Amino acid sequence: MFKLDHKSILIGISVVASTALLLTGCLSSPSSTNSSAKAQSNELTGPYAGKLGAIDGGVIYPRENGMYTAYVLNEQSTEGINHGRTPTENEINAWNLDALPDGTGLPEGEGSVEEGDELYEANCASCHGDFGGGGHGYPQLAGGNQEKDENGIVKTLKNQRLEPGMDAPQRTVGTFWPKATTLFTYIRDAMPYAHPKSLSNDENYALTAYILAQNGIKIDGEKMTDEYVLNAEKLAKVVLPNNDGFYPNIDGPEGPANVKAFFADRAKNIGAGVRCMTDCKDPGMEAAGAKEAELVRIDYEMADVVPPYSTVRDLPPESEDVTISKAEKMYNESCKLCHSSDRMGAPAVGDVQAWVSVTKKGFDQVLRNSIDGIGGMPPKGGNDSLTSDEVKSIVEFMIDSSK
Amino acid sequence: MIKDTQGKRMMHLKISKIIKGEDVDKTFKSEETTSVSRRDFFKRTASVSAVAAVSILAPGALFADDINIMEHTKWGTTLGDECNYNPYGLPSKYEHNVVRRTSALMSSAGDMHAAISMSPLHELSGIITPNGLHFTRTHNGVAHVDPNKYRLMIHGLVDKPIVLTLEQLKKYPSESRILFLECPSNGAAEWKGPQFNSLQFVKGMMSCAEWTGVRIKTILDELGLKPNARWMLAEGSDGSEMSRTVPVEKVLDDAMIVWAQNGEALRPEQGYPVRLMLPGWEANLCVKWLKRLKFGEEPWYAKEETSKYTVLTASGRSIQHFYANEVNSIITSPCPEKPWTDLKVGDLVEIEGLAWSGHGTITNVDISFDGGKNWREVSLKGLVLPKAWTRFSYMYKYEGKPLLLQSRAVDDSNNVQPTVNQEKEVVGVEGVYHRNAICTWEVNAKGEVNNVQVRS
Repeated sequence: MFKLDHKSILIGISVVASTALLLTGCLSSPSSTNSSAKAQSNELTGPYAGKLGAIDGGVIYPRENGMYTAYVLNEQSTEGINHGRTPTENEINAWNLDALPDGTGLPEGEGSVEEGDELYEANCASCHGDFGGGGHGYPQLAGGNQEKDENGIVKTLKNQRLEPGMDAPQRTVGTFWPKATTLFTYIRDAMPYAHPKSLSNDENYALTAYILAQNGIKIDGEKMTDEYVLNAEKLAKVVLPNNDGFYPNIDGPEGPANVKAFFADRAKNIGAGVRCMTDCKDPGMEAAGAKEAELVRIDYEMADVVPPYSTVRDLPPESEDVTISKAEKMYNESCKLCHSSDRMGAPAVGDVQAWVSVTKKGFDQVLRNSIDGIGGMPPKGGNDSLTSDEVKSIVEFMIDSSK
Repeated sequence: MIKDTQGKRMMHLKISKIIKGEDVDKTFKSEETTSVSRRDFFKRTASVSAVAAVSILAPGALFADDINIMEHTKWGTTLGDECNYNPYGLPSKYEHNVVRRTSALMSSAGDMHAAISMSPLHELSGIITPNGLHFTRTHNGVAHVDPNKYRLMIHGLVDKPIVLTLEQLKKYPSESRILFLECPSNGAAEWKGPQFNSLQFVKGMMSCAEWTGVRIKTILDELGLKPNARWMLAEGSDGSEMSRTVPVEKVLDDAMIVWAQNGEALRPEQGYPVRLMLPGWEANLCVKWLKRLKFGEEPWYAKEETSKYTVLTASGRSIQHFYANEVNSIITSPCPEKPWTDLKVGDLVEIEGLAWSGHGTITNVDISFDGGKNWREVSLKGLVLPKAWTRFSYMYKYEGKPLLLQSRAVDDSNNVQPTVNQEKEVVGVEGVYHRNAICTWEVNAKGEVNNVQVRS
């Protein structure tokens, strides 16, 4: 049977003496040769051979003879089954807020770049950086080189970091996003991060305008100055630089068929392996012009995992009976996101120096700032449901935890 | 051959030299300087395992009698807990290290509200992931939905729009399917080279469970889908209002609305009380905390199918609507967390692993001991189901020699798992998503296992 000679553990197209030995070893195994032949003749194995046809290029399994693959079915009719009720028109309108790239579904409202600037500073800059430029670990919204090559492809998107130190492709609204309506609906539904759905449509238009302006987007040839006012009609006219940078084409009546055709040719379009069994040469490697494959080891190991690695089976360390105070719980829910570190510019809880300078203002002033908001911090940290007494207990907790 | 790039030591080595032993000493030295903590971890593991080995391998009088046999145990001489001491059962306290893990790399700036936690694949058996260990990806934290206030609306291009409470939804006839769920970012840290020395972090953005719910087609048959409906918008109710566009063809094939996971309600991390289930497709498409399904003619271009979850290729253009998680496999034993440091030459040991494909059913798995030059087919074992984890197994006589272990899966759509180079040729290294290249474990002469890549 298969015998592994350590000298024969080699890879690459360089022919070595031991290859012949291994080749013989493998050919003597009947299962290997069988499956190798199967793969070469393109013949599917298993009980579902020939049942191709799913849009993803895979198999559609039949529901027949009381079976769906290995699962037994109840084949009684469900005709006439009817639970739930018809939603009212108001109910549908309340939830039917999605919008298409052509503007269908966008709400009324408007906002200027200048208004967006103020809103951005107050609600977004702490995560997305000044002017959308990133730098705080959250997605960068603006910036990046939008210049295109002769085929209309944004040049920097071709960046491939094959060696350390090479430039990454930048995926900002201006260089990567295909549709501007996505920006509006996403801001409206999912932002600001800690308080989604808290802004008005006018504010959402203003923020969308600001981010588009930071990306140098023109609408109908018009530059978006501070005074530029964005609304549904104008938003639908935006053509982002990377609008044509995506495939297959999903628009129009042929959209699903295009997708299906794309995934039918998976080897070409998304890459596929070859089921070679013996003395295999890696086609990708040959294409890259390499003579012998290399073994690449971990250069810099990502080892800061939480909890730390361990496969030991022992009793867990005795945990102290810590009951978390109500104030700490409220802090965790409403304040911790920004105050757990200084990366968003807020004084970090536990940073003694930072809080010495905060408390210099006197407790009453600190409390007033917490209730009214200060700098990038919205009133009550953005949680309107907190009472003034609750804010007071949170501030006391934060100060006590930073001594 | 060791390259020096920007002062950093890149460990690109000719495989033939390593296996011949020429570079082995140098290799171990590099490893010590780059991953001291891992070495300590292995030492600890090795000493624990050695105790177990002694008790198994002592047939004669060579070893002292095992105290665990010679003396009564504490648990055998005392009254245990009352039978319902834990009304909701918990794992043994000794299993406290079998947990999901995360890393700052899996988040924005270490903020764990939009982050990923990885399943401990090295500790899982069979094909079912316990609910508490299911991998989790959130975009705006784990939402806690009040089931009494939960509503699901289905509307758009249907004759009869409908709104359902949770109890009404659960009155529809249910089907159960064992299906894997995989984040399309699984393995994304490894496009440019190996980074994590851990099975949990190399492939842990996936799990497999039995999901129960109603086929969407069963509901649609009564609502009356209009013939011009080509796409379905699925929208979540969490803070990120996660939404994705799904082709109607998939909806009518095997899509489900599910409310149960391994026999109990979905866990909040998996979308309690209701999520969309698109068998075999990106877990991101299987929208959690599901709120609304709307049928339409044109795709929506939601944020998570444009700015994210699109595959940027070396051409500068990006693949969109990339649905299925492709054919894939990984050897789970041995692995970096479960090395062979306690084996003796001549020991017979099982090599075990997982294979899966979002396109269908696993038909074959091959393994290689020499980094992909020669392969042999191995046995599948247990249930072999479509779009589910499938276990494979091979009995191996340990020789104490260096190995480059790989597995390669094939499915019934004739998809063959690609090499790192084959995938790189088509996609490049900036695709982020849908990486299914063959993984390599280097087993060194000591039986330690390291995550490496064979590439050019």
